[in-house]
Amino acid sequence: MEQILANGVYLGSQYAMIALGLTLIFALMNVLNFAHGQMYVIGGFVTYTFYGQWGVPFVLALVMSCVTLAILGALIERYLFAPVIKGSAREESTMLLAAGIAFFLDAVILLVFGEKQRGVPKIIDGVFNYDFKLIMPYDRILICFLAILSIVAFIGLMQYTKTGRALRALAQDRTAAQLMGVNVDRYSMIGFALGAMLAGLVGGLLVTITGVNLGMGGPTSIKAFMMVMIGGAGVISGAIWGGIILGFMEAIGLALLYQYGDITYLLIFVSLMIFLAIRPQGLMGKPWG
Amino acid sequence: MGFSGKQLMGVGIFLFVIFIGVPLIIAATGRWDFYYTLTSVALLAIASAGVWLTFYIGRINIGQGAFALIGAYVSAILVVKAGWSFWISLPAAGLFAALVAILIGLPILRLRGVYFAMITLVLTQVATLTALALPITNGAKGISSIPLPSGVSIFGIPLIPDFSSMENTKLAFYITACILMIVTYAALYRLVNSRLGHLCRSMQQNEELASSIGVNISYIRIVIFAISSFFGGIGGAMFGSIAQSVYPSSFQVADSVNFMLNCFLGGLGYVFGPMLGTLVLYFGWDLLFEFGKYQMLIYSTILILLIRFLPNGLLSLSIGKGDKK
Amino acid sequence: MKRRSLMKSALTAVAFTSLMASTALAENTVLKIGFVGVTSGPAASWGISNQRSMEARAAWINETGGYKIGDVTYDIEIVSFDDQKDPKRAIAGMEKMAQEGIHYVVGPNVDDGAAAVRPVAESNGIMYFPYAFPKSLYEAPASNAVLGMVANYQSGPAIYKYLMAEKGVKTVAFVAANESDPLSQRTGGIEAATALGMEVVSDNVTYQVDTTDFTPVLTPVMRAQPDLLVLSGVSPANAPQLIRSARELGFQGVISTETAQDAGVLAEGAGDLANGFISVGGASTPELSSPMMVEFVERYTKMFGEYNDESNTKVYALEYILETLKADPSAITDVDAFKTTMDTFEAPNPYMNGDAKLRYVGMSSFGQRRQVSVPLVVNVYQNGAFETLFVAEVD
Repeated sequence: MEQILANGVYLGSQYAMIALGLTLIFALMNVLNFAHGQMYVIGGFVTYTFYGQWGVPFVLALVMSCVTLAILGALIERYLFAPVIKGSAREESTMLLAAGIAFFLDAVILLVFGEKQRGVPKIIDGVFNYDFKLIMPYDRILICFLAILSIVAFIGLMQYTKTGRALRALAQDRTAAQLMGVNVDRYSMIGFALGAMLAGLVGGLLVTITGVNLGMGGPTSIKAFMMVMIGGAGVISGAIWGGIILGFMEAIGLALLYQYGDITYLLIFVSLMIFLAIRPQGLMGKPWG
Repeated sequence: MGFSGKQLMGVGIFLFVIFIGVPLIIAATGRWDFYYTLTSVALLAIASAGVWLTFYIGRINIGQGAFALIGAYVSAILVVKAGWSFWISLPAAGLFAALVAILIGLPILRLRGVYFAMITLVLTQVATLTALALPITNGAKGISSIPLPSGVSIFGIPLIPDFSSMENTKLAFYITACILMIVTYAALYRLVNSRLGHLCRSMQQNEELASSIGVNISYIRIVIFAISSFFGGIGGAMFGSIAQSVYPSSFQVADSVNFMLNCFLGGLGYVFGPMLGTLVLYFGWDLLFEFGKYQMLIYSTILILLIRFLPNGLLSLSIGKGDKK
Repeated sequence: MKRRSLMKSALTAVAFTSLMASTALAENTVLKIGFVGVTSGPAASWGISNQRSMEARAAWINETGGYKIGDVTYDIEIVSFDDQKDPKRAIAGMEKMAQEGIHYVVGPNVDDGAAAVRPVAESNGIMYFPYAFPKSLYEAPASNAVLGMVANYQSGPAIYKYLMAEKGVKTVAFVAANESDPLSQRTGGIEAATALGMEVVSDNVTYQVDTTDFTPVLTPVMRAQPDLLVLSGVSPANAPQLIRSARELGFQGVISTETAQDAGVLAEGAGDLANGFISVGGASTPELSSPMMVEFVERYTKMFGEYNDESNTKVYALEYILETLKADPSAITDVDAFKTTMDTFEAPNPYMNGDAKLRYVGMSSFGQRRQVSVPLVVNVYQNGAFETLFVAEVD
C-alpha cells in the first residue's frame, strides 16, 4: 500500500508538470499543442547533451533546457501560431499547425540526436528501502521533490507577479484583458514560452530517471491531453489534479489489476471515458472549454 | 437539386481522370506503384469524409481510426471465420461500425470542443487495446491470410470478377476504391445539401439556438456520427482486404490524427476538402520518398508553410471567400 | 529564417549525395537491394540499425570494386523506405520496391508489416527478409519470406535450458509490452519455459509501449520472486528502464530477453545495474568476431558516428542475399531460382571466427528452409560491453 501511494505521488507530480504547460497554452490561446511532447523530448535531449555528454553541472543543464525551450516556444508563437490564429476562420485549424510542428520537431530530433535511447549518469546513487514495504531510489525522491517545488513556484508566479496576473486575465477573457491595457500579443508569446519552458524543464528533470528517446514525444502529448481532460481544460489547478489522478490511477490500476495484465490500461481508458461522459467539463473546467 | 452545366462538367472531368486518365498515365509512365498509393488515398479519403462530417456538426473527431479498425476486423472475421463473401462483409463492417458509433455516441456526443476531441482520441486507443484483448480478434496475433475478395454473379452474369484469379489485383482494387470514394462523396454532397445538412449547419453555429427552434439535435448528432463511422468502417474493411491481414496496430492514434489533418488541410468549408487533403498529405509523403532521411523534415516544413499561409485549407485558395457551405 | 536555411542546406545535401552516388556508381552495373522498415518514431532504432548496416556494407563493397556475381561485377545500391511502423505504409514501400525492379528486400521489422506486405511481395516476385516471428509467414503456402534472425521460440529454450543447468533457475516471470510482437513473443516464451519444466510464476503483467516509469509495472512481478525475469520482445529503449526498476526494487535474479540490444544504451540507461543482463546478439563479441566483422564495425562507426550493437544480427541479411545470388546468378531476376538454391546453399560465415557456415535453416520450425542461419550468440552485459555466454545453432 505504501508503495502504491509513493508510486502515485511520484507519477502524479511528474504528470502534473507535463500537463501544466499544455493547459497554460490552451488557456491562453485555445491551442491544443500537439507538439508538447516533442518539446518535452527536446528538453530531455538538451539536458542529456549538457550534463551527460559535456559534463556541465546538472542544474546548469536544466537551465539550458528551460532557456532553449522558452526561446523555441516564443519563436513558434510569434511566427507561426499568432499569424495562423489571426488568419483562420476556425480556430481548430491551429491543430493542423501544431501537428505539423510536432512532425517537424520529431524530424529534427532524429537528425540531431539520433535514434537511440539516451540516458545520463545517476544524480544520486542509492535506494531508500523501508523494510521492502516502501522502495524508492533517492534520485526519484529528489526529482519528485523538484517537480513539486517547480509546481509551487509556477503557481506562485501565476498568483503573485504582474506577468502572472496578466496571463490569468488573458486566459479568462482575451478582449477584456486587452481593454484593461494588457499587451495581448506580448503576453501570448510569454505564456507560450512559459508553457514550452515547463515542458523542457520536466524533460530535463526526467531524463535522469527515464532517459529520453525520440519516440517519447507523441505518447507524452496524448498522456498530457488525458490529464488535462480529467482536470478540465485550461484550468491550472485542473491540470495538477488531472496529473495526480492519472498518476494514482496508473499506480493503483497496475497494482490491483495486474493479474488481468492486458486489460489494465483498457480499464483505465474506459473509466476515463465514462468519467468524461458523466462530467463533460472534467473536474474543474469551464463547461465546453 | 439542380446542377449547373459547369458542375456537371467538373464531375465528368473528374470521373474521366480517375477511371481513364490515371490508368493511361500509369501505363505510359510505368509507375505501377502509384495504383496502391492512389487506392490508399481513395480509401483514406472515405474515412476522412466521415471525420469531415462530424466537423460539420461542430465536433472535432480524432477517433476515426477506431472505427476503421472495427470495420477491418468485422470484415476479416466474417470472411475468415464465418466464410462470408467480402462484398457482403463490407457493408456489414460499415453497419457494425455505425452501430458501435450509436452506442458510444449516446453519451459522448454531449461533449464539445476539445473534450470531444480528446475522448475520441482515447477511443482509438481503446479500440486497439480491445483488439489485443479479445479472443475473437485473435489478440496480438491478428488475423492474417485473409482470402482475396471472391467473385459475385447474379443469374450466372458475373457482376464482380474473382480477385484471386486476377493477374493484377492492383487495378481492380484501385477501381473498387475509387467507386466507393465517389459514392461516398456523392452521398456526402447530397447530405450536405439536404434538409439534414441545413440543420447540421445551424447546429454548427449554435446548438442551443438550433435546439430552441425545434431541431432535435441529439437525434441528428447520433445520425451524423453513425454515418461518419460507417465511412470509417468501410475504409478500414477495404484496407484489410488489400493487406489480407488485420492487426490491432492496423489503425492507430496516428491514423486518427491524420484523418483529422486531411480535413483541416483540404478545408473544413468544402465538401471535397478531405479528398484533396488526403491526396496532398498521403501522396506528398510518397513523392518525397527520394529525399531519404530528410523526407520527414521536408514534409513537415511544407505542411507548416501551407497552414501558415493558407490557414483555411487548400481549397480556400481557388474558391476564395464566400461559398461557405 | 532558420527553418528555410535548414531546408536549403538539407536540399543541397540531398542533391550532393545523390550526385556523388551516381558518379561513384557509374563504372559497374548497379544491383538494387531494398529495405522496408521503420526508421522514424519510437521503434526507429530497429530499422535504422538495419538500414545503416546495409548501407555500410554496400559502401564497403562498392569502395573495394564491387561484388562479382557470375560474370558481372555489381555495385550495390540500397533503396530504403520508411514505413513508420504502419502496415499500410509498408505495403506502399513494397510496391515501391517492385517499381524499382527490386527482387530482394530486407524488412519489415514488425509482425503486422510483414504480414501486410506478403500479397505484394508474392505477386511481384520479391523475396523479403522480415524481422518478425509469426510462423505463418514462413510456413507453406507462404514462400517468399525468409526470417532474418533467430526467432524467440528458438533462442528462448536455449537460454532457459542454459540457465536451468548453470544457474539453477527454476521459476520464471514474463513481462511484455502490450503490443502484437512482444505479446506473441511472450506466448512463445511461456510455452518454451513450460515445456522445459520451469514454473511460470507471473505471465500476465504488461506495460504500455510509452511507459516511462516501470516501478509500478514491476512491483507485482517482484512479489512473485522469480529466479528469472524475461523481458519478452523488449525494445532497446525500454530495456534499460526495466532493468533499472527491477534492480532498484531489489530483484536479485537473472534478467534476460530474446531480442538484440545495444551495450551503449544499456550503459547509459542502467549502468552497472545492467550487469548480468542476458540478450541475443550477433558475432560482435571479441572472442567471436572475425577480422571482417571488426572492419565492418569500424566502417559503420566511421560512416555514422556511432555503432549500434543491434546491427550485429542485422548485417547478415544482405550478406545472405548476395552470397546466394553469387551461388546462382540467374536468381538476380528469378526468385524461383533463388528458392531452389536456398535448399542447398552453403558458404562460409565471413563475420565469425571458426568454421561457421551461412545456410538456410528452419526445417524444424517451418517445414521449409525459410530462415537465415545466424549463429545464436547469447550475450551477457558486463561493465559496458557484451561478453559471449554461449553459442548455439538453429536447425
